Amino acid sequence: MRPGLEGVSLLDVRDLAYRYPDGHEALRGLTFTLAPGERVALIGPNGAGKSTLLLHLNGLLPDRPPANPAITVDGLPLVEPNLPEVRRRVGLLFQDPDDQLFCPTVWEDVAFGPQQLGVREPRLSGLVRESLAQVGLAGFEDRLPHHLSRGEKRRVCLAGLLACDARLLVLDEPTSDLDPRGRRELMALLTGLAVGQLIATHDLEFVVEICPRAIVLDGGRIVADGPSRQLLDDEQLMLAHGLERPHILRHRHPH
Amino acid sequence: MHVPDGFLDARTLAATAGLAAVGLGLALREVRRNLPPRRVPLIGLAAAFVFAAQMLNFPVAAGTSGHLIGAALAAVLLGPAAAIVAMTAVLLLQSLMFADGGITALGANVLNLAVIAPLAAYGVYRAVRSIAGTGQQATLLATGFAAWCSTMAAALACAVQLAASGVVEWGTVLAAMGSVHMVIGLGEAVITMLIVAVVLRARPELVTSAVPAMQPTHRRTVAYGTALVIGLMVLVAPFASSLPDGLEHVAERFGFASLASASQPAPLPDYSLVPLADSSPWLATVLAGALGALVAFAVAWFVARALAAPVHPTARH
Amino acid sequence: MLRDRFLSPYQHGSSAVHRWPAGAKLLAAVGCVFLVVLLPRSAWWAYAAIAAGLVAVSLAARADLRGMLVRLLLLEPFVIGIALLALLKPGGVPLFLSMLTKSTLCLATMILLTATTRFSDLLAVLWRIRVPALLVTTLALMHRYLFVLVEEMERMQRARRSRTFVAGRTSAWRNSAQVAGQLFVRTSERAERVYLAMCARGWKA
Repeated sequence: MRPGLEGVSLLDVRDLAYRYPDGHEALRGLTFTLAPGERVALIGPNGAGKSTLLLHLNGLLPDRPPANPAITVDGLPLVEPNLPEVRRRVGLLFQDPDDQLFCPTVWEDVAFGPQQLGVREPRLSGLVRESLAQVGLAGFEDRLPHHLSRGEKRRVCLAGLLACDARLLVLDEPTSDLDPRGRRELMALLTGLAVGQLIATHDLEFVVEICPRAIVLDGGRIVADGPSRQLLDDEQLMLAHGLERPHILRHRHPH
Repeated sequence: MHVPDGFLDARTLAATAGLAAVGLGLALREVRRNLPPRRVPLIGLAAAFVFAAQMLNFPVAAGTSGHLIGAALAAVLLGPAAAIVAMTAVLLLQSLMFADGGITALGANVLNLAVIAPLAAYGVYRAVRSIAGTGQQATLLATGFAAWCSTMAAALACAVQLAASGVVEWGTVLAAMGSVHMVIGLGEAVITMLIVAVVLRARPELVTSAVPAMQPTHRRTVAYGTALVIGLMVLVAPFASSLPDGLEHVAERFGFASLASASQPAPLPDYSLVPLADSSPWLATVLAGALGALVAFAVAWFVARALAAPVHPTARH
Repeated sequence: MLRDRFLSPYQHGSSAVHRWPAGAKLLAAVGCVFLVVLLPRSAWWAYAAIAAGLVAVSLAARADLRGMLVRLLLLEPFVIGIALLALLKPGGVPLFLSMLTKSTLCLATMILLTATTRFSDLLAVLWRIRVPALLVTTLALMHRYLFVLVEEMERMQRARRSRTFVAGRTSAWRNSAQVAGQLFVRTSERAERVYLAMCARGWKA
């Protein structure tokens, strides 16, 4: 892993705004930063603009990057010439793993990113093997995507991002359709990864358990940004933005 | 109408494979040059869609069901070049993985169902739309008639290939495949129209629309002209049997003179189709085709009208 | 389920046949098919030899013979249907029998090939022999999303059927058509997302 420059934030968003072609203002001046290795939750009601924000982080939106970008990744401003490098460093995990797992086999899908980056054999196979091992799917190389469970598909997608040496993982609702076991496995996996993570989620227990910091988004604006426990314990704040205090904080047990 | 292995002779296999390769090659080039990259994954997914949609049941009678072929649907939703690529993929998969359609006959099947069918569909679609307009009803009418024409075109091509391989007599196979597919074509037309109607209502921009509308005066001219030609065919044809031997000569050449009971054109004092079939089977075939087309057009017209009706026609103020 | 069996002809196994390179198997299968097609019509001894060969390879592959036979029988009616046209010709019986035999042998060859070879391996072969990239990508995406779409379609059908109270031809047609139309819209939207996912990982058209 390449060491980051001292003092350079992993992600720097300054006054990001976005209006859809039909006029709907999805993002209204967002400003926040992420430090290398930080794990931050992005929470808020449906329609707050979470997914729109995530699509901005690796340049999929807007259709053409602006001349003076609002986003800087690892010191690189998000302009057209930097797009390929930014896309390598920011790994976006889509909500529906079927959309992202588009190759015929697991091996090919994990290898897809590195291949686009010019990695060839024999390094390629080793990279695929390591990435699959990292997500707990060693030996899955020859499996077919539609035979995998939802959780396994998600982890294959993650392996594909890790294989490109992503520095920031951006995840869109990763636990939304997982069974309890799949969810626990994913949580263990994420806590074990040293890369930075920005996780959009409705799963507030998940936020309390593994994300030290949370950003609350509502109506395209950041309404709160701070330690998760503190924010999520604030009942008024939660209810005001279509959320609620998670159970884990409501019933405190002395352990 | 997938042709299995072992039916067509080597010469036909080679010829159809060559034509199919050319058609596919041109389509691939067209897609590479003119399709925006955003739409490239859609070709693959649309192929999966056609494959899946072919599994849907459209019950006809007593346990039998009709199924979608999909070439016309692909042409209307993807445009002709992308449709050719998508249908080729479908046929390749069907042939390789499901042994539906032979490997050696792949050229013929691709030519019939993946090149001729979508092209015929798109051509007719554009033509009808340029005359009838670009509204919802016109689009549906064009879609339905295009689907019928594409089915007939593919069937005719298939018949030519079977006859050229000496499997069946030309007259027999033409009559068999032609008549059966006139009916199948009607089913394809209605099914395709129903599906496109749903897409039009949900996301109209997904239906190919790049057709410049004709001027109203031109439109009327073409409509009247077409009606005139068809009318002429129906009225004048019986008397055309007294045309010079040229026609009989052609009929003999094509080898379906066996259907003709007379080797000389018999004079026709009355207007009937049966003696016509005896002396000029070629004309009879053309007539039958024209009649079939008229029926298909009428069916498409009525269904389009029914589908394009407002959702709540009984709303009163 | 028969439908699943129908959609996935591949049977996983570890026999020598399974381990043969996909390119070799494809070549052998295509070669066999061409051979059968080009044999003279009454080369019955040759047909028998080929049939024996196919059975031998099937046994070596420890293939599910019953499953393959079921597939063969499922597809046979279409073959018989067209072959019947030959009977319309005077003296067409030998022609009918030979066409039937040829088609069946070719069918069986392809069934055996797909039972022992994975589609993804076949795609890799096509890629290597320089089949146009656009076509291979289309085939790959089609195969990948086939099951996804079929499952989506079944879910929609089930939902429709549970709200269809009058069973009849009209409702069946309407339901099927609406399912197909909706499936296309969803497929279109999914294709957009797949495009984004491909771009996100560095793909250039």
